[in-house]
Amino acid sequence: MEEAQRDEEESKQQQIWSWGAGTEGQLGTGKLEDEYLPQFLHVPFLSSAESISTLACGGAHVIALTSGGRVFTWGRGTTGQLGLGEMLNSLHPKPVSSLQSYVITHVSAGWSHSGFVSDIGLLFTCGDGSFGQLGQGDYRSQSTPVKVDYFANNFVNQIACGMRHSLVLLNGNQVYGFGSGKRGQLGISRDKIKSINLPQVTCGLEDVQIVSISANGDHSAAISADGHLYTWGRGFAGASDANFPQLSLSSLRCTKAALGWNHGLLLTGDEEVLMLGGNYHGVLCDLEKMSAVKHRPVDGAIKTWGWGEHGQLGLGNTNDQTIPQTVSLSPDIQNKEASLNVYCGSGFTFAIRSLSVNPDNISRN
Amino acid sequence: MSYDDVEIEDMEWNEELQAFTYPCPCGDLFQITKDDLRLGEEIARCPSCSLYITVVYNQEDFLGDNDKSKKKNLEPAKQLPISVA
Repeated sequence: MEEAQRDEEESKQQQIWSWGAGTEGQLGTGKLEDEYLPQFLHVPFLSSAESISTLACGGAHVIALTSGGRVFTWGRGTTGQLGLGEMLNSLHPKPVSSLQSYVITHVSAGWSHSGFVSDIGLLFTCGDGSFGQLGQGDYRSQSTPVKVDYFANNFVNQIACGMRHSLVLLNGNQVYGFGSGKRGQLGISRDKIKSINLPQVTCGLEDVQIVSISANGDHSAAISADGHLYTWGRGFAGASDANFPQLSLSSLRCTKAALGWNHGLLLTGDEEVLMLGGNYHGVLCDLEKMSAVKHRPVDGAIKTWGWGEHGQLGLGNTNDQTIPQTVSLSPDIQNKEASLNVYCGSGFTFAIRSLSVNPDNISRN
Repeated sequence: MSYDDVEIEDMEWNEELQAFTYPCPCGDLFQITKDDLRLGEEIARCPSCSLYITVVYNQEDFLGDNDKSKKKNLEPAKQLPISVA
């Protein structure tokens, strides 16, 4: 999941769209149905001075982080992942009031749990804890964000929530894992680890300066300052699982990694997109073909491909696509300086168009 | 094509659904009931999409479970009239 950078120059104008699976309220449309085309959202909290600096999309819930460090959640909440103090779904964005006294700088949404990092390096988790993925030393679920005391004396920089595990990146570079470890996704031991409920250091990254971490499904990944990609956990494309971080495609210089359930996308320094993983529902073209697709097409369009059964490709149908397709957003763009950010959850997608110039386009999954 | 092979111990028992479940990439849950398992069914389906997984388990483990669950069902039924009285 991506780092939420709070930009001081708040973009005054943002537009949000959502599409795909919507039966848990995750699209924020106020309806409980799938949408095959991008739905333009009228989000009341956006009318305030703050803009959305990032979204995190999980199994069926969404976390929005604002430029002012506030957090809003919506979608499925049955295991407490919305952090609203109850185990209920929410059709509309609601503020996470228990975090109001903190300035949140980074958020992550897993399958059914959530993580929040504050500007002073505090970590909070909530949601499903049955695999220890909240890092609280137990297997309980929490409906309100709870501070992870294990890191009381550390400065947490990022959290990445997967299906049943979490990764944490400290300012001092160490990566920690907790939760389910059956596929090696915690990277903490040569032996098979079923699950742990307290953070433990990931092995093999001690001498590497890590700048970002990602988790999804049973996959884990980290990118180093020199652009190397490390992956561990479930193997891609039927490859065997890795219990420790492995240096993948060492000749590449990566700037971003986004993981799906059975594949991963990499953005290189040359703004090329590469894919890791097997072949299912056209999610994966071969790596060579994809490498020809630039991350930022000159026309600033959103491209989707892969599994489309819930309309998550936003093309007006439920077809799978093996070749990237262009998504039309309505109302159409007038200002070519606008930046687009895309965020993919499980079977659903969000797009944000900001009319301030921001060179750091972010995509995930 | 089965999306994945999942061991039964990695599935979660869902009291509400009365089924073993596992997360589906569409956001819903793959589901299989104990009755299915007793009959040797190894496909767990998602009610919201076309994906399915293959459940890896030992059928004998659930044939024995049949008797236990019958007993469990009987016990509350016996107790119920007492608590009412």
